[in-house]
Amino acid sequence: MAELLQLLVNGLMAGTVLAVPAIGFTAIYAVLRFPNFALASHATIGAFGGYVANTAGGLPAWAAVAVAFAVAGLVGVLSDTFVLRPLRPAGAITTAIAAVALNIALENVVRFVFGNDHRGYDLPLQRDWQVAAIRIGPQQFQNLVIALIAMAAIFLFLALTRTGKAMRAVADNPTLANVKGVDADRVGRLVSFVGMGLAGVGGMLLGLDTSIDPLTGFRVILSVFAAAVVGGLGSIPGAVVGALTIGVAEELSLVALAPAYRSAVGFVAILLVLTLRPRGILGERAY
Amino acid sequence: MGVVTDPRPLLSVDGLVAGYTATDEILKSVELSLQAGEIVSIIGPNGAGKSTLLKVIAGILAPSRGSVHLRGVPIHGRRPREISALGVAFVPQEQNVFPTMTVRENLEMGGYVDPHGSRAKIDAIFTRFPPLAEKRRHAARTLSGGQRQILAMAMALMVEPAVLLLDEPSAGLAPAAAEKLFETIRAINQDGVSIAVVEQNALEALAIAQRGYIMVDGRNSRSGPAAELARDPDVRRIFLGG
Ligand SMILES: Nc1ncnc2c1ncn2[C@@H]1O[C@H](COP(=O)(O)OP(=O)(O)OP(=O)(O)O)[C@@H](O)[C@H]1O
Ligand SMILES: [Mg+2]
Repeated sequence: MAELLQLLVNGLMAGTVLAVPAIGFTAIYAVLRFPNFALASHATIGAFGGYVANTAGGLPAWAAVAVAFAVAGLVGVLSDTFVLRPLRPAGAITTAIAAVALNIALENVVRFVFGNDHRGYDLPLQRDWQVAAIRIGPQQFQNLVIALIAMAAIFLFLALTRTGKAMRAVADNPTLANVKGVDADRVGRLVSFVGMGLAGVGGMLLGLDTSIDPLTGFRVILSVFAAAVVGGLGSIPGAVVGALTIGVAEELSLVALAPAYRSAVGFVAILLVLTLRPRGILGERAY
Repeated sequence: MGVVTDPRPLLSVDGLVAGYTATDEILKSVELSLQAGEIVSIIGPNGAGKSTLLKVIAGILAPSRGSVHLRGVPIHGRRPREISALGVAFVPQEQNVFPTMTVRENLEMGGYVDPHGSRAKIDAIFTRFPPLAEKRRHAARTLSGGQRQILAMAMALMVEPAVLLLDEPSAGLAPAAAEKLFETIRAINQDGVSIAVVEQNALEALAIAQRGYIMVDGRNSRSGPAAELARDPDVRRIFLGG
C-alpha cells in the first residue's frame, strides 16, 4: 500500500514536470497545425543551455532554468523560421517529417559540441524528506514548483495578455484572426519561442533528476506526444491532464512491468486514445 | 432613407476579377457601389461568387484584375488588417466567432487592430445587446445561432466601421431569430454604418435594403432599387420561388 502511494506521488510529480514540454508541444500544434517532433532536440538543447549556465556560469539550478527556456526558445524560432515554416504550405505530414529530420540534425549538433557523455548539474547534496511513509527528494520538489510556476505563467499569459489572446484566436480560427488583423507570422514565431522554451525547461527539469546527454529529449518525446494526444492535441488543459495521466501510468506500470517497458505505456496510451476517443480527453479545447 | 447624392460612392467595386488560384476566375467581372448611409443587398444562387466578392473587398483574397475603392482611395490587394483599420469590417458566412474564447474576449479580438477605448466600446455593446452581456463570460460556442450572429456583428462594430460587410447573417436561423437579426442590421445602419449584405433570404434582404444586386456565375445579372427587384417577376421566379 505504502509502495503504491509512493508510486502515485512519484507519478504525479513526474507528470507535472512532463506537462511543461507537453504544453509546448500542444501549443505549437494548436497554432501551426503540425506535430513538431523536433521538440525532443529542443528539450536537449535547453537542458544543455541550463547546464552551461549552471556549471560554467555558476547559476543555481532554479535560475539556470530561465536560460534553458531562452536558449531553447531562440533555437525554436530560428529552426522554425528557416527550416519548417517554408515547408508548411506542403502540408502537416511533410512538415512533421521535416521536423523529425531537423530533430536528428540538432541532436547531432549537441553531440558534436558536448560529446556523448552523461553530464550532471552542479547541485547541492540534499537528504530526501520523509513525510509519513512517502519519500520526496528536495530536487524533485523544486522541479515540481518550477513546473507549476511555468504552467501558471503560461496560463496567465494566455488568459490575460493581448498577445496571449491573439495566440488563442489563431488556434481557434486562423482565418477569422487574419480578418481581425492578427499577424499570423508573428504569432507563429511567438508560439515557437514559448513552446520550444517550455520544451527546454522540461528537458532541464528531467536532467536535474538524473543526468543529461544528447538523447535526453529523445527519451521523453514519446511520453510528451502521448500526453498531448491523450489530453487532445491542441488543448493546453488537455496536455496537463494527459501528462498527469501518463506520469502516473508510467510509475504504476512498475508494479507489473520491468522498468525497460515503461515507454510501452505512452505507446499503448496513444493507441487506446486514437482508437476510442480520437479527440482526446478534453477534445479540441484550445485553452 | 438617407440615400446621399454624393457622386463619389463610399465603396466602389469595378471590373473585379478574382479566384482562389492564379488561374481560376470565380468572379468574372463584378461591379458594386455602396453610398454612405445605404444598405445594399447582394443575392444570387449558390456558388455565384457572393462570398468571394466580400472576401476580396475585405482583403482576404487579392483580385487578379479590377479595383476596390473606399472614399476614392484604392484598397484592393491590401491586407485585412489595413482594410479593417480603414473602416471596412467583414463578418464571414461561417465560423465567424472564436468558439473557445469568451464573448468578452471575442469582442476584444473584434477590436484587435485598435484596442484604445475597447473597454468602453464593449460596455456599449453589452448595453445594446443584453443577451451578450449575460453570456459575457461564456465561451462563444455555447451561444445559440442567433446570439452567435449578433456576436459576430458586434465584433465587427468594435472597429467603429464605416462599411459593414455581412455574409448571409440569417443563414440557419429560425424565422423569429432571423427577424430580430434584420431589425438589428437596420438599427446598426441607422447609426450611420453603410452595409452590404449577402443573403439567401432574398425577400427579407431586399426589404431592408435601398438597392439590390443580383449575381449569377461571377457577374452582375441585375441591379436596381430593392423594391423594384423584389417586384420583378423574373427575380421572384428565380430567387423567391414565387
Ligand atoms: N476556399 C475556396 N477555395 C477554392 N474554391 C472556392 C473556395 N471557396 C469557394 N470556392 C468556389 O468559388 C465559387 C464561388 O463560391 P462562393 O462561396 O463565393 O459562392 P456564394 O455565392 O457565396 O455561394 P453560397 O450561396 O453557397 O454561399 C464556388 O464554385 C466555390 O466552389
Ligand atoms: Mg457564400
